[in-house]
Amino acid sequence: MSGLARGLRGAAPFAVLVVAWALLTHGGFVSGLFLPPPGDVLRVGWELARDGSLWINIAASLGRVLLGVVVSVPLAVALGVMVGLNRRLAPVVEPIVGFFNALSGIAWLPLAITWFGLGWASVTFIMFNTIFFLVFFNTLVGVRTVPRVFEHAVRTMGGGRRHVILGVLIPGALPSIVTGLRMAIGFGWRALIAAEMIATSTGLGFLIFNAANFHQSDTILVGIITIGLLWLATDRLVLQPLERRTIERSGLVSSAR
Amino acid sequence: MAWLAVLGTTIAAWTLASATLPLPDYFLPPPTAVLAAMTDLIAKGILPAYVAESARRILLAAAFGLLVGVPIGLVLGISRRVADFFYPLLNFFQSVSGIAWLPLMLVWFGFGERTILIAVNYTVLFPVIFNALLGVRSVPRLYVDALRTLGAPRWRIVRDVLLPGALPSIATGMRLGLAYGWRALIAAEMLVGAHGLGFMIFNAQNFHLTARIMLGMGIIGLLWLALDYFLLRPLEESTIARWGLVQR
Repeated sequence: MSGLARGLRGAAPFAVLVVAWALLTHGGFVSGLFLPPPGDVLRVGWELARDGSLWINIAASLGRVLLGVVVSVPLAVALGVMVGLNRRLAPVVEPIVGFFNALSGIAWLPLAITWFGLGWASVTFIMFNTIFFLVFFNTLVGVRTVPRVFEHAVRTMGGGRRHVILGVLIPGALPSIVTGLRMAIGFGWRALIAAEMIATSTGLGFLIFNAANFHQSDTILVGIITIGLLWLATDRLVLQPLERRTIERSGLVSSAR
Repeated sequence: MAWLAVLGTTIAAWTLASATLPLPDYFLPPPTAVLAAMTDLIAKGILPAYVAESARRILLAAAFGLLVGVPIGLVLGISRRVADFFYPLLNFFQSVSGIAWLPLMLVWFGFGERTILIAVNYTVLFPVIFNALLGVRSVPRLYVDALRTLGAPRWRIVRDVLLPGALPSIATGMRLGLAYGWRALIAAEMLVGAHGLGFMIFNAQNFHLTARIMLGMGIIGLLWLALDYFLLRPLEESTIARWGLVQR
């Protein structure tokens, strides 16, 4: 199937959905206050895009995710490898990090506000806690599951600690790290939307929550659709290629199915 | 033993930090304050009520996911053409978290229990449907053809091949759905403010009752671990482990 045909087939269900939505709203079955017709949503989307506020909110949300990733991932990987190397420390640290994973996301918000007030510092703190612990946990688990044989092989051939870490442990843990990163961004993105509703005055979460106060269902729908499309784009353009490159390269799954 | 030592060190360091750091009292209350908040809230009956409220909501969503989401996903997955049609839709709806729908639901249903339940059930439902569908689709055609060659009727193929083949993926969907759903519940309780642990910690922040926040966070973490241990692990062990897909 050509790319165009596949694209059309992927779009077909959404076309059906939009037609059903239009019939429902224009047919007078639902009040426009609750569910505005697709045309209205498109118009509001266009207006928000033209006056720039949609782009500012998108940039704010994406920037916060990026900041969270940049701050937490290097630290999480470094600490994960360090703790994973220590065979006595690792089993002790694992359940603790597991607990913080159970807590990841929005549950940090009240403490974040207490410590940092409303604003970007609070949001970054929440993103850090969500992303850091998931990546840390997965790095730790990844390092611990690398078979000892490879480490011994490098040692036998005269490799030092540095060679073991860079040549064996990090590449061996990479698939697990990438899985962790993907989960972390999934949880982080959702936590961000919730946090923006409460703790900030920019971002897509703020856009839709603020619109709810004024019963602007059309603006809310623009925000929801943008949030969905942004996640699909992130997943398709960043996370899936990253996963393919690491996992399939290390031969853990066969690409042919 | 090592575990106890780490726990003891953490509590000691926490006590020391909260006693010596030049911070306002509400910033980092000592562990004893958290303990005091716990006994206080238990005595007042608030804590048991809120825990029960949040647990009830997430368990309801779990039951909804299992009893409604799984059958829908299975049915949609059986026919390849139907599955191909719904796949992109489900993928879109599972990627819009329930919490993003919350503002619209507030407009539709107002501030109340109904909004919370719908947001959480939505969040659980879509990953479950999506993964059940994926699971059915990933069953190798070979097995279906083998049974068909041997003259099996359609319902036997569903019962003996498609359902067991999809179970590992269903378990994955339940884990993902409930993990997102639990967080959506906490967020919804904060925003809608109708009791529950999310409401408890959010409200405590307004009054600088930091010990109460920390207590709530601890319980939120522990409840998830309990859900993991009593519901998700058994589900996975009866599917993934039994099928030999993971070795532990």
